Amino acid sequence: MDPLRQDEFDSQACGSIAPKAKPCPRPKPGEAAGGCSFDGAQITLLPIMDAAHLVHGPIACAGNSWESRGTLSSGPSLSQYGFATDLTDSDIIFGGEKKLKDSIDYIAGRFAPPAIFVYSTCVTALIGEDMDAVCKEAADRLGIPVIPVNSPGFVGSKNLGNRLAGDALLQYVIGTGEPEPETDLGVNLIGEYNIAGEMWDIEKLMNSAGIAVTSRITGDARYKEITWAHRARVNMVVCSRALLGLAKEMESRYGIPYFEGSFYGAKETTYSLRQMAYLMNDREMERRVDRLTEREEARLSQELRPYRKLLRGKRAVLYTGGVKSWSVISALKELGVQVVGVGTNKSTEDDVRRIADRVGDDTEYIPEGGASRIIKTVRERKADIMIAGGRNMYVAMKEQIPFIDINQERHKAYAGYEGLLRLAKELTYSLANPIWKLAASPAPWDKEAPPYDR
Amino acid sequence: MSRDELNIKDNTSLFKEERYVQQRENKKQFEAPCSEQETAEALAYSKSAEYMEKNFSRQNVVINPHKACQPLGSVMAALGFEKTLPFVHGSQGCNAYFRSHLSRHFKEPTPSVSTSMTEDAAVFGGMNNLIDGLENSVALYKPEMVAICTTCMAEVIGDDLNSFIGNARIKGVISEEYPVAYCNTPSFVGSHITGYDAMIKGILSYLYTRSGIESKPGSGEESGEKLNVMLGFEPYTGNFAELRKILGAFDTKYTILGDHSGNYDSPATGEYEYYYGGTKLADVPQAANALATLSLQKYTLKKTQEYISGTWNQKLAALSTPLGIKGTDTLLATISELTGLPVPAMLTEERGRVVDALMDSHPYLHGKRVALVGDPDLLIGLIGFCLETGMEPVHIICSNGDVDFNEVKFKDEAEALLAASPYGTEATVHVGKDLWHMRSLLLNDKVDLAIGSSHLKFAAKDAEVPLVRVGFPIFDRHHMHRYPIIGYQGTLNLLSLIVNTILQQLDDHNSGFNFELVR
Repeated sequence: MDPLRQDEFDSQACGSIAPKAKPCPRPKPGEAAGGCSFDGAQITLLPIMDAAHLVHGPIACAGNSWESRGTLSSGPSLSQYGFATDLTDSDIIFGGEKKLKDSIDYIAGRFAPPAIFVYSTCVTALIGEDMDAVCKEAADRLGIPVIPVNSPGFVGSKNLGNRLAGDALLQYVIGTGEPEPETDLGVNLIGEYNIAGEMWDIEKLMNSAGIAVTSRITGDARYKEITWAHRARVNMVVCSRALLGLAKEMESRYGIPYFEGSFYGAKETTYSLRQMAYLMNDREMERRVDRLTEREEARLSQELRPYRKLLRGKRAVLYTGGVKSWSVISALKELGVQVVGVGTNKSTEDDVRRIADRVGDDTEYIPEGGASRIIKTVRERKADIMIAGGRNMYVAMKEQIPFIDINQERHKAYAGYEGLLRLAKELTYSLANPIWKLAASPAPWDKEAPPYDR
Repeated sequence: MSRDELNIKDNTSLFKEERYVQQRENKKQFEAPCSEQETAEALAYSKSAEYMEKNFSRQNVVINPHKACQPLGSVMAALGFEKTLPFVHGSQGCNAYFRSHLSRHFKEPTPSVSTSMTEDAAVFGGMNNLIDGLENSVALYKPEMVAICTTCMAEVIGDDLNSFIGNARIKGVISEEYPVAYCNTPSFVGSHITGYDAMIKGILSYLYTRSGIESKPGSGEESGEKLNVMLGFEPYTGNFAELRKILGAFDTKYTILGDHSGNYDSPATGEYEYYYGGTKLADVPQAANALATLSLQKYTLKKTQEYISGTWNQKLAALSTPLGIKGTDTLLATISELTGLPVPAMLTEERGRVVDALMDSHPYLHGKRVALVGDPDLLIGLIGFCLETGMEPVHIICSNGDVDFNEVKFKDEAEALLAASPYGTEATVHVGKDLWHMRSLLLNDKVDLAIGSSHLKFAAKDAEVPLVRVGFPIFDRHHMHRYPIIGYQGTLNLLSLIVNTILQQLDDHNSGFNFELVR
């Protein structure tokens, strides 16, 4: 990857605290757009599993979304509860601060969480609720952190919400606690949400290399471990530019070096592990990482051989959030799958540059959403498979296109060396399923039907 | 390649492997957790009667809600009309939630767009977003009608849809004739059923008014007399099919007002279209001249029903979801009365077969204690079904049950229905409560079976009660919505679902002498 000049970097980073030129792309009215800033903020913080997450607003934002994220917990499950103040019309007129206070008190009293995150919504932001004051008062009185997350839906896109959640962590959480003296300090993983348990694979790998995870921000996290994130030695931003601002700010505040990396694909995984060891400035650890990555890559390449044979030359269209667009390309390339179309709807300019670094000139960029646009690319580019999220999955089914879910609802973990093997298997499975043949053959009584062969 | 090699473990099996289990154990050192004893005590307390009392005195926080918001219902309603694009006026996340929510339930795409309002819209109003949005979406998705609903945000800042749409026409973004229906659906009032009602009324009244037709109720139209039918916020595409079967057997002409079954049950032809089926736009003004209107969700469709009996001056029969034998009998009698046609023999025969099935299964149903969660009209149907099979409804929660029709409150009707049967004496109907309340109920006063949406699975699991998934949303089972639950056939489906869940429980929990072959 080419080093970027600092000023250029600042102006392009979606995650910078004060974007100078181009912030996250603005949504366009009249399209089937993705999630809002509230959604973005919530998904960033929800994986803090032992905290309570209270939505201050009408029922919708919680009622339409609770317990629908595929972020897994190894223990506590409080974050999976749908808490809402459920404002009604009279609250809109007379204000909901009293209700919010009572809700916080009830949750603190009954569930004893280590912290409560309170999310603003369009409505509470518009009617001018002083959420910060209510949270502060409650925190002082109850003796637990009550953290306002000011990210109403209308401020912008999901990416922006991720960033605002990062700001809340910086302002209220990071630096407020200290680890036990014997804690082995290592790396913070920023922007990894343990979807389908991927975090556990990553952690296993890091542990084999002798690298400790200090704080998970936020996949399968506990509130307390984030309070001491400022004691980590390295920050890794796991392919989520939206939280880059958090890493940058931690660098300037606490002097923690950071890098951006990914665990999709063997090369990226090796690069990430090496980068951790390098930034820790520990020669012995670097040697350990080298041994581990060499061994794992060799083993993987052995195990991948049959799949590579089957997948070589297959063509894929990738349509996912900006964060995964470039990292998944690397993984696919290693399997011999050619990415012939890629969505850039939610990508920043820098994401697009990284995509360009990884794909050939023959790849089509899909700048805006909409099922028909994606399908058109699949058809025109003669793609064999579509890799996207849940909202596009059923469109692919209608068009009889083999499909892999890469977003929040997936149930398979694709990170790390083992993850790449799983991805290879899943691709093979998806392409080979007999249903595509059946779907492609019209009913036998319709003319010119190719024979359907099981 | 052998199948063993291809075995890909998903998160249910992969992370049960020893190495991951060990890793999770190691992680506990970071958690500074309570001792196992403390955790067990807290859990036990949360299951106690003492806690239940505190839980029920909870006022200001909802825990695990069982309702969605108005515009979600509006999106479903808009998809019930031919080539109509649902258009959500608000910030973009709302629309993303609706699309995910509906798609997860139906396993089908949901075409719907947003005006993606941002901070400038919050300050200056959302008119520019609405006008730009109309221009973009009409160009991109080529609908024949756009159906706009509002969200909280648009309502709080007081956006005036009517004048905005007017301005869009003046600006030439859409032509004067281009149909744009709309309704106001703030999420801080009502629930998804209120929004469904608002949009159906919005579309019916809009298309009728602009047609210039003067209704002559009961006069029928040139092609013969028709019956209007409305199913309401209907999570089952199978119910549309069942109703068509029934109306077909009567040999009556009919118009379904709001038919989203096409959109949510389209064939895989290899080519995705945005719009499938739906009520023809031209049929809507004609519906004002129909014989009568039959509504199958009277609480849901309150305003629409008032509009039809008022403005169209039309005879209206309003029922709740017709489940069970009695519920279906009422449906058939009503159709017969409205159309003047006799109940066809085919349906009488079907009735006999389903009664036979109910008799076959009755020993396993009698006295089973049941908990129910759902929307008001569905619950009226389910309560009726339970009572006629000898199952005893015990806990009934209706989060959005603060509704009435013809001055009868849902709660009063439900309680009267229960009081009229010896099997309903133990039941309590809770309106406005959530699934955390239901958890307390399930833990403190045990039942044999819970019936409700997928959201109920957490409470049901805590209480170790089997859950039969009925209603909306059902995210974690496939194709349930394709099978009808109304009519005699639907009754049979519901019966199979329930009795086989009970039989499965018997097998799961018994071994040895009572692991029987014949049941």
